[in-house]
Amino acid sequence: MESSLFNLVQRYGSLSISGMCKNAGKTTALNSLVKNYPENETLALTSIGWDGEKTDTVTGTEKPGIYVREGSLFATSEKLLRSCDVTKEILETTGISTPLGEVVLVRALSDGNVQLAGPSIVVQLIGISKLFREHGASRTIIDGAVGRKTLCSRALAEATVLCAGASYSPSMEETIAEAAHMCSILTTAELPELKQQMGEGQPNGKYIIIGQENRHLPDEADILAEIKQSKAPRCLYIEGALTDSMLDPLVRSGLLREMKIATRDASRLLISRESSRKLKAAGGELAVLESINLAAVTINPYSAYGNHYHREMFMTRMKAAVPLPVVDVRE
Amino acid sequence: MLTHEQKNRIGFTYVLNQIRPASPYGRDALRSTQAACPGQEEVLRKELQNIAKTLKTLPQAQAAYAKLEQVFRQTKDIRSSIKRIGGQLSEIDLFEIKQFTLQLEEIAPAFDEINKSAKYHGIAIEGMGPALAILDPEESKVASFHISSRSFPLLAELREEKKSIERKLRLTPDGKKKAELLSQRSEVTAREQKEELEAALWLSKELKPWQDHLLQNTEAIGRMDLTMQKAKLASAGDACMPEITGEGISFTSMSNPQMENTLAEAGGQFTPLSLELKAGTTVITGANMGGKSVALKTLALNVLLIHCGFYPFAKKANCPLLDGIHMISDDLEAADRGLSSFGGEIVKLQEVLSEVREGKALMLLDEFARGTNPSEGGAIARGVCAYMSKQKAVTVMTTHYEGVAALAGAHYQVAGLRKIKDHQALSGELASTPVGERVAKIAGYMDYGLLHICAGEKLPKDAINICRMLGLQDEIISLINGQLE
Repeated sequence: MESSLFNLVQRYGSLSISGMCKNAGKTTALNSLVKNYPENETLALTSIGWDGEKTDTVTGTEKPGIYVREGSLFATSEKLLRSCDVTKEILETTGISTPLGEVVLVRALSDGNVQLAGPSIVVQLIGISKLFREHGASRTIIDGAVGRKTLCSRALAEATVLCAGASYSPSMEETIAEAAHMCSILTTAELPELKQQMGEGQPNGKYIIIGQENRHLPDEADILAEIKQSKAPRCLYIEGALTDSMLDPLVRSGLLREMKIATRDASRLLISRESSRKLKAAGGELAVLESINLAAVTINPYSAYGNHYHREMFMTRMKAAVPLPVVDVRE
Repeated sequence: MLTHEQKNRIGFTYVLNQIRPASPYGRDALRSTQAACPGQEEVLRKELQNIAKTLKTLPQAQAAYAKLEQVFRQTKDIRSSIKRIGGQLSEIDLFEIKQFTLQLEEIAPAFDEINKSAKYHGIAIEGMGPALAILDPEESKVASFHISSRSFPLLAELREEKKSIERKLRLTPDGKKKAELLSQRSEVTAREQKEELEAALWLSKELKPWQDHLLQNTEAIGRMDLTMQKAKLASAGDACMPEITGEGISFTSMSNPQMENTLAEAGGQFTPLSLELKAGTTVITGANMGGKSVALKTLALNVLLIHCGFYPFAKKANCPLLDGIHMISDDLEAADRGLSSFGGEIVKLQEVLSEVREGKALMLLDEFARGTNPSEGGAIARGVCAYMSKQKAVTVMTTHYEGVAALAGAHYQVAGLRKIKDHQALSGELASTPVGERVAKIAGYMDYGLLHICAGEKLPKDAINICRMLGLQDEIISLINGQLE
């Protein structure tokens, strides 16, 4: 029997859900989770920013709301409160303002549909999670945005679910390849030595070359030259994002055979499939200071643009491509 | 009146920045602080007395004050919600108003306890039990808000119906039956929302009689908050309750927190200043490095503080309400107007004179006309001094020019090196000090206090003394002395 999404994530107290594109099935995944949580638990929901209107403005497909149970908590903005059809109890006004008004914390006094709109700044989201707990929430789910840049650190959510859908591309092959690439980036392993080497403090400059000695280098440093001068370099740590244009000269130099490239977490690894392939071919490896816990991949064979995939085939091929549990979340 | 830049220079902005009201209403009251005008003596006195009342009651009511500050800190500015009372209010408006009335339940008793003995002028914070009862019919006293169906039978009915549909929905698998239930639910929900809007409007109308009270409470909280902060400021420094009477201005041992702070950072200490000023001109003289400008700024600061309802930083203070405080110093004028510093001063003087002639004013002239040639500059300073001596305004001039003090009603001299008995010994000590550190060393010996000089009193030649101490060649010193004779 296939395990349900709920079974895969139920041990995590906090969870974030991200989509690889719009209409990837995030809301469907959220709804399937909400339905499955035990009734005696208080579930709290928020989102990173606001995802858009009830109807997707790009494609015109009807966007489902999230149907919560009585007693659930949620964060939304003043202006979206009207489109939530639960009976509401206002718990708190947070002072966090968004284009749609202040973020407010609400308890649902009945079952019903809610629209989420939380803050888009991580620190504020952490604050919201704290308020949720003060109001008795036992679990938090964060509706993430599209793309992996907001797939947040573990400070925010213990685990993450990635939603892959046919809306990404008319070609199933392309969608699966991209999903596999995202999974491989997101599951980049921690380099334990990194934590010891860095200690608690912030790095002193943008780069650290870890070798026989640790060298902290500023933004403008000529990294290739510095690596060549270093004794037995094992790892290049970058505070900030690693992009294709940064990676390319490193790959070409052939210096990466013995060296890893690391960032704070996987959300900073902004590299394309092509760069990732070249890196592998050159013998290079990525690492992170803090890994993200990717719990599952969900699939949605329906495309908002009309190119639906064959459900079983999509499932089988996705399973073969990613080393993670794959779940088909249907309505 | 003083410009924004001048308020920065005299240390007024610095003092205001020391004050951190706990509530948005207090911050608002601080922002809208304005200098009082002649005729408003009684109002100002009451405001100042409120500070005195706070200082007096603080020791025995510390807990109540702490409680006030703690709850003030939690308040939000909800005046826009209060102003909408009577019309359609949202659930969030109602939540905010309920939260405020709950906060008042904590604030009012603490305030009453203090006010029993303090008896504040014009500050009354009242509990709003009846308004709270409207928003909390179940008397739950929790801070959250929902539109209760207690007084709205139709709403109660709709919510019951909605619940029963939702219970069925939970047990119904996807399909036609479920779709049917969902559409029933939408229909009931739409009616529920309509009823809720009406209930909110009804609540809003019920609150209407309390609207003014709520607004008055926000204002009273602002005043109380600011008064408490002013008292805190007064007790942190050496401040006093000023007299607001008479024609003249007098301060005993006044200081300036910003300059105190700057001096403390450099390892020095501020010398308290005492001044007694009457209508007409008072001249302050003294060597460079002598703190004449400091005296002017400190005077301006404390006069302005009194006008704005703060305790001045002094042991004793007397100042009538003035129509204006004006300050002219060439470093400020030139930069603003692109004129030469001298031209700038003259233009500003003309502007100010028309105001000064009409009412009570304090005019501060810092080394007026120093930017032009000394013979004419001296004449200009003497002329202005003679003219201002006949005016109703209180004028204070600092100057280097000869003969100005003789035309003024009073003369103060910065004590400077006056108290040093043995210049020879100090010179000896300085001789062993590296040249670069000598100026700082002399500064350490300077007494920045002000001495009242009687007519005909001989003044020490501090400038020449400083030349000597800094080791200027004897030959030049004797030539200088020759020039003076």
